[in-house]
Amino acid sequence: MFLESKEEVIIEKEEFKPLIVAFCCNWCSYAGADLAGTSRQNYPANIRIIKVPCSCRVNPNFVLRAFQNGADGVVIAGCHPGDCHYSTGNYFTRRRLTIFTNLLDYIGIERERLKVDWISAAEANKFASVMNEVLEKVHKLGPNRKLRDVRWKR
Amino acid sequence: MEEITLKTREIAYKDLSTGKVDRVIGFAKGDFIYESNPTFISDIDELDALVWDSFCVNNLSKYLINELKDVKKIGIFLKGCDSLGFNQLVQDNKVDSDNVLVYGVPCEGMVDPNKLKKDNLLKGLIDIKRSGEKILLITKQGDKELKAKEYEYDKCINCKHPNPVVYSELLGDYITRNNNVVDDFQEIKEIEAMNSEERFDYWSKQFSKCIRCYACRNICPVCSCDKCIFENYEPGISGKGKVDSEDQFFHIIRAYHVAGRCVDCGECSRVCPEGISIDKLNRKIIKDITEIYGEYDAGLNTSKSSVLVNYELEDFDPFESIKGGK
Amino acid sequence: MKKITLDKLSELYIRISQEYDLFVPSDEEGVVSFTPWKDDSNVDFDVLKTNLSPKSFIFPQCETLFNFKSEGKKLSIERLKNDENKFLIFGVRPCDVKAFHLLDNVFLREPMDRLYEEKRNRGTIISMGCIEPEDTCFCNSFNIDPLCAQKGVDVFTLKIKNNIFWKVETQKGRDLTVMLSGLLEEASEDDLKEIELVKESLNSKLEELPYFNIDPQKIDRSLIELFESNVWDEISKSCLGCGSCTYVCPTCHCYDIQDYDGGKGGERFRCWDSCMYSDFTLMAHGNPRTTQKERFRQRFMHKLVYYPNNFNEYACVGCGRCVEKCPVNMNIVKVIRELGGENK
Repeated sequence: MFLESKEEVIIEKEEFKPLIVAFCCNWCSYAGADLAGTSRQNYPANIRIIKVPCSCRVNPNFVLRAFQNGADGVVIAGCHPGDCHYSTGNYFTRRRLTIFTNLLDYIGIERERLKVDWISAAEANKFASVMNEVLEKVHKLGPNRKLRDVRWKR
Repeated sequence: MEEITLKTREIAYKDLSTGKVDRVIGFAKGDFIYESNPTFISDIDELDALVWDSFCVNNLSKYLINELKDVKKIGIFLKGCDSLGFNQLVQDNKVDSDNVLVYGVPCEGMVDPNKLKKDNLLKGLIDIKRSGEKILLITKQGDKELKAKEYEYDKCINCKHPNPVVYSELLGDYITRNNNVVDDFQEIKEIEAMNSEERFDYWSKQFSKCIRCYACRNICPVCSCDKCIFENYEPGISGKGKVDSEDQFFHIIRAYHVAGRCVDCGECSRVCPEGISIDKLNRKIIKDITEIYGEYDAGLNTSKSSVLVNYELEDFDPFESIKGGK
Repeated sequence: MKKITLDKLSELYIRISQEYDLFVPSDEEGVVSFTPWKDDSNVDFDVLKTNLSPKSFIFPQCETLFNFKSEGKKLSIERLKNDENKFLIFGVRPCDVKAFHLLDNVFLREPMDRLYEEKRNRGTIISMGCIEPEDTCFCNSFNIDPLCAQKGVDVFTLKIKNNIFWKVETQKGRDLTVMLSGLLEEASEDDLKEIELVKESLNSKLEELPYFNIDPQKIDRSLIELFESNVWDEISKSCLGCGSCTYVCPTCHCYDIQDYDGGKGGERFRCWDSCMYSDFTLMAHGNPRTTQKERFRQRFMHKLVYYPNNFNEYACVGCGRCVEKCPVNMNIVKVIRELGGENK
């Protein structure tokens, strides 16, 4: 028993556990995450959720700082366009993040690392599937070394 | 004496002496023939210093922000690219166009002294005359004719706005430039064609040259925030340390902050002491905006607000993967 | 006086790089700067000024002072291990070497800056004299002779046609020369005559330079008069407030100390700062220099009045980098002229 568990521990240490940071808007996607939890949907444990009032609160600075400080992937989840609690917030998100995701891709950050999606409060399934999908893609890509701040120690 | 120089002095004299403007912003010669520096003249006796030649490359419109705090009305000499910056400043409410008289000067392109220096053409240089596709160098050792496209600034080669888009007076005739249809976004497409590893290598090499002097930010007519985020040194907001991640942060965020408002004047790349091609970042955003949201028009129209502060209900949506439902 | 022919230089580099971290002025994408020597370095000794000055070898742009870590209530501070490698910079111009000396005045007086001192001692400097001045050079105005070894140089070299002449100045230089003895030859009588001819022709070339008449000693007004002069309003108007001049200048040495917050731990670092930036003298009570005119005045008063008052030397070496790099062509020459520092 003792020997087996030791081996398990060693294998776990070598396996890459991606760190995903998810910015979820308070009214839709955070509620959707909640629902996924209470419906016992299976979604990964290494997603760190940061609650923001609206997806347009997400400043591209945050995304870059997340990558600098160790994130391997970033997800930004907001309400469906037309359903924003603040009426027009996510229209701006849509425009801004279209430009920003293209810009990051141009710099050389793989597209799979930055995911933007619209998840409503009722879409627990979608929340779980988006998170799983991102985790799988990032896991395949490996740890993120680009944009990393060399001074940051996990 | 160049005719255009005389015209600039004439109109400045007329407007300063009648009180139509309190100050004139133009160019004066510096120590070397290739130096034409911004000058600020409030006294009609000093107007003889005003010149206009093939080295007047600076964009003077940004000085308006501070100068209009001192005096009421200002006359300013602007080229085509400069006038776009001016319009953008007006649109951003940084400059009140009622207080500015724009003397527009159509421009055939400015000559880059660094390119002349590389080919050893600066020695004994007395004057430069520009006409269409040719430059005539007048030197102590005799005259020499050169092809303009080889010695212009990189930003002038594909100039789309040789004529000022806004002016109270136009000094000179309209110019039509013969831009042999070079794809504007040729260089951008070349970078896009690389795979992501190559792209990151390219950009991190460019960004690591950065010495964070902020010349690009300070000369940009669109970067006019009273308190720039890069002057805020609270931990986490911006960082002074010279590490790769901070350099990348600066360039990416600055390109993003001017997105949709950048007028593509090329000043940022010109002034960079390390020669980083910053315009390739800004042009990428311009390309995306053109492809997705329609013809790019920053600086052309002061009444229409810029792309990223607007929205359409039916905007292009690259993020909608599974449409609604459970 | 020894010499080495140009074709033997690569052997010299290989030999030096076995013992030292070697830095040479090399051309990369059209920009010449001091970079670590590699086999395929495109070494360029004909360009007079490197893009950035070599001050970053002794005063790096960003330097960590110490690391700290907090675990619960415990705070631990860790000093960094010193870099032990000796380094050698090949081809530093006399103006840049004089700039090192000007920095020494500031950092090596009590209380001594240990980080600076440690780097200064680890370095060996091979200076290269200038035989063909550029229009933007005015080192002569600050009594720097482009063909003479400045104080602190270990070996002085001169590149004339196909030869590089090599003259030992200090014990460190002597040790280095002994290490390279197989590669260096003795200079002949003809060679020495050639050097004399070059020296004479240089003097006449210097007199033809546009900045030959600049003489800061002619600025004879008192500190208060200069400070309150009206000149500053006019000349500072076009200044953008970027840091280009301060960062390319070999003598500018202002720095800021900031902390990097890395969550559980972090580091305190020192980095270059520019007096042109708007937050330069921002203190707890506010900022005494709120306009660009005051910051502009501060920079040039420091170089031309305050520093000479303290150390009897001007804090400018006449390299001309600010002349080339300023986006609006403001530079110290224009300021010196406005203040009266010119031989008419």
